[in-house]
Amino acid sequence: MKHLRQIYHIMLRELSILRNNYIYPFCMVVFPLGVMIFFTSLMEDGLPTEMPIGIVDVDNTTTTRALIRRLDAFQMSRITHSYASVAEARKAIQNNEIYGFLYFPKGTTEKLLASRQPKISYYYSYTTLAAGALLMRDLKTISTLGSAAVGQATMRAKGFTPEQIQTFLQPIKIDLHQIANPWTSYNSYLSTMIVPGMMMLFIFLITAYSLGTELKFNSSKQWLEMADNNITVALIGKLLPQTIIWLAVVYSYQYYVFFHLGFPHLGSPWMLVLLGLMQVLASQGFGVFAFGLLPSLRMSMSVCSLWAVLSISMAGSAFPVMDMDRPLQSLSWLFPLRHYYMIYQTCVFNGFPLIESWFHFAALAGFLLLPWMVVKKIKNAMLTYVYIP
Amino acid sequence: MSIFHKIYEDLQHVCYIWRREMQQVVKDEGILIFFLVVPIAYPLLYSWIYNNETVHEVPVCVVDMSNTGLSREFVHKCDASPDVRIAYYAQDLDEGISLVSRQLVKGIYFIPPDFETNILRMKQGVISVYCDMSLMLTYKAIYQTSMLVSMDMGKAIQTKLSGLYTSREEAISTKPLEYEDVPIFNPKGGYGSFVLPAVLMLILQQTLVLGIGLSAGTAREENPLGALVPVGDKRYESSFAIVLGKALVYFMIYAVMGAWLVAGVPRLFHFPQLATWQSLLTIMLPYTLACIFFGIVVSCLVKYRENVMLIMVFASVPMLFLTGISWPQNNIPGWLQGVSWIFPSTFGARAYVRVNSMGATLHDVLTEYRILWIHAGAYFLLAVAVYRYQILRGRHYAKERLMFLKRNKEARQEEGVG
Repeated sequence: MKHLRQIYHIMLRELSILRNNYIYPFCMVVFPLGVMIFFTSLMEDGLPTEMPIGIVDVDNTTTTRALIRRLDAFQMSRITHSYASVAEARKAIQNNEIYGFLYFPKGTTEKLLASRQPKISYYYSYTTLAAGALLMRDLKTISTLGSAAVGQATMRAKGFTPEQIQTFLQPIKIDLHQIANPWTSYNSYLSTMIVPGMMMLFIFLITAYSLGTELKFNSSKQWLEMADNNITVALIGKLLPQTIIWLAVVYSYQYYVFFHLGFPHLGSPWMLVLLGLMQVLASQGFGVFAFGLLPSLRMSMSVCSLWAVLSISMAGSAFPVMDMDRPLQSLSWLFPLRHYYMIYQTCVFNGFPLIESWFHFAALAGFLLLPWMVVKKIKNAMLTYVYIP
Repeated sequence: MSIFHKIYEDLQHVCYIWRREMQQVVKDEGILIFFLVVPIAYPLLYSWIYNNETVHEVPVCVVDMSNTGLSREFVHKCDASPDVRIAYYAQDLDEGISLVSRQLVKGIYFIPPDFETNILRMKQGVISVYCDMSLMLTYKAIYQTSMLVSMDMGKAIQTKLSGLYTSREEAISTKPLEYEDVPIFNPKGGYGSFVLPAVLMLILQQTLVLGIGLSAGTAREENPLGALVPVGDKRYESSFAIVLGKALVYFMIYAVMGAWLVAGVPRLFHFPQLATWQSLLTIMLPYTLACIFFGIVVSCLVKYRENVMLIMVFASVPMLFLTGISWPQNNIPGWLQGVSWIFPSTFGARAYVRVNSMGATLHDVLTEYRILWIHAGAYFLLAVAVYRYQILRGRHYAKERLMFLKRNKEARQEEGVG
């Protein structure tokens, strides 16, 4: 009972701290939600559309022009320029005018009609990987279509049925099922990892910051006094109001993304609730641990920020962890975001039961327990350390 | 006082401020972390993470209901491809799904029972490919491999069906129009080669801004009045001298760090590097200056030294996306393009990627190059202006403090008299 009263009073104290320093409302509400708006509106279309590409049509016949018109009708690419030579078009890529181009050499149509197998080429730049890969798909499709159109015409002339023609041109058909993300939407693919990652970054930083500022503003002794020097009570009282705010922020992100924007989530909404809770608690645990390890405001915040920024890469949603070097695969376990991402993609995105990612769940619980190792050190720091700017 | 004397005196002040700032940087471990440790270690770490560049041997499970020569040929050919590895054979789709759920495979090739029968009856044989879409790179590997193998096998079937005489005829009938796929500037489509150049440029800007912000925060906290510049020190009276003196310190450090970032790291990890040192130098000069002055402007906005971390660290990731490397530049909404013009990194990264990875000449990046100089100039003037304001504010604080002390003294005297 006494402890509960103490926690209540420390919570009130914490709330007034949160209200009086403008950095808290910004870093706990404005920036996290701002980042959410940023990424979801940046990739609003899901896939890049209307990417500028060029044409080098040296042949310039009705056949090549028909192909170019068909390519222009594709959603992802838009023909913006046409060039006289390959060198000029390459220059245009370097110049940031286009991302790729299609090249018809002189005599393409003539050779095509004479059955002499002409060769066309398409060039695209992989310095922007997503743009390159998607354009490659369009350019390849149009080249295949061009090739097929000729065969189709010949076969139709010989009197084959459309079904026979289809079978001849493509004896084996690939029937693609893109589970849970049939639109190949980059928004639901990237935003769902980066935004929680950024929220974790804020939780790390603010946890370390709020503990460190007790030292910095020389209020640590008063804080501990309110808890009768019981560091556990003091920590719970201090962090609980933050936990509540973080949960509100994380749940509003989940509501916005999965229910308002309708991102795919095959798992149950309760899974989201649980995941959000674990995300917040594990991150706070990590923040407290980082501060306990290096009980100085600046060092703990540096560690938190370096860790959080690295975790965006180590989560392995852009470049898979299984293709990194072995030591990195093990190191990835040290990043809470990695476990968050694994649980998210298994239990929320693909909707498999929680048992399939029990390990990652346990790991997040482990992060939650980390502060237990350093509470003594934190108490010691709060009572004896002096802040040096 | 002659004008030369004045210039000489100002130069002396610049040098004095340079020395003080250098001392502060060297003795402050927080600043050293951002000026030395992060720019040296982070690129190494990132290069290590993306060292393998592409995904290979993505584990896939096969559900072969057909179990015939053709279906086995498909499976063997997929297994033999560089990007996919057949890790499991499942009895049915449910078993395959359970393998996906345990993260053992990233996709399923499902071959229906009538696969070969259909092809022999001159109907289309269908293979269903199920992909776990939580990773785009593995999805691409699984799908593309199945496409390539099916086209390859399809060609063989076509040849048998067409009954032509020469192999040349066969080649023409299966592919009347040949096409060539030419990825340029990052031919193997490596992830590291694509993302790292932009990350390097961003590291340069972010560490500079963080370090400068920390240093300004310390200066403010060490000052008894909480002002950014010492009041009453004649050497701190010209905001030009302050900005120049400080910028000189950062420039000296980042001349070395910048060289390491743009020339050392790509060479060390064999990332594409087509630029000559002259063009690199030409771009890096305005970029470094723009970042320094941008950092000085930001540093004047923070009250406590740690706040700059809270503001700048998270911004790195959105800034990376604003460069247009991950997400094509023409698809960034207009209002965000506007936001992106604030940061030197947007143009620095664009110019560097094009010059370094795509071998563009300076002429090709003229727009970015000009904007970087405009940034450098504008942020320099802004930095001078904010320092001017800080000096005035410092004086104001000092005056207030003086009045306060005076009033106290008077009150005490009156008390004494009373």
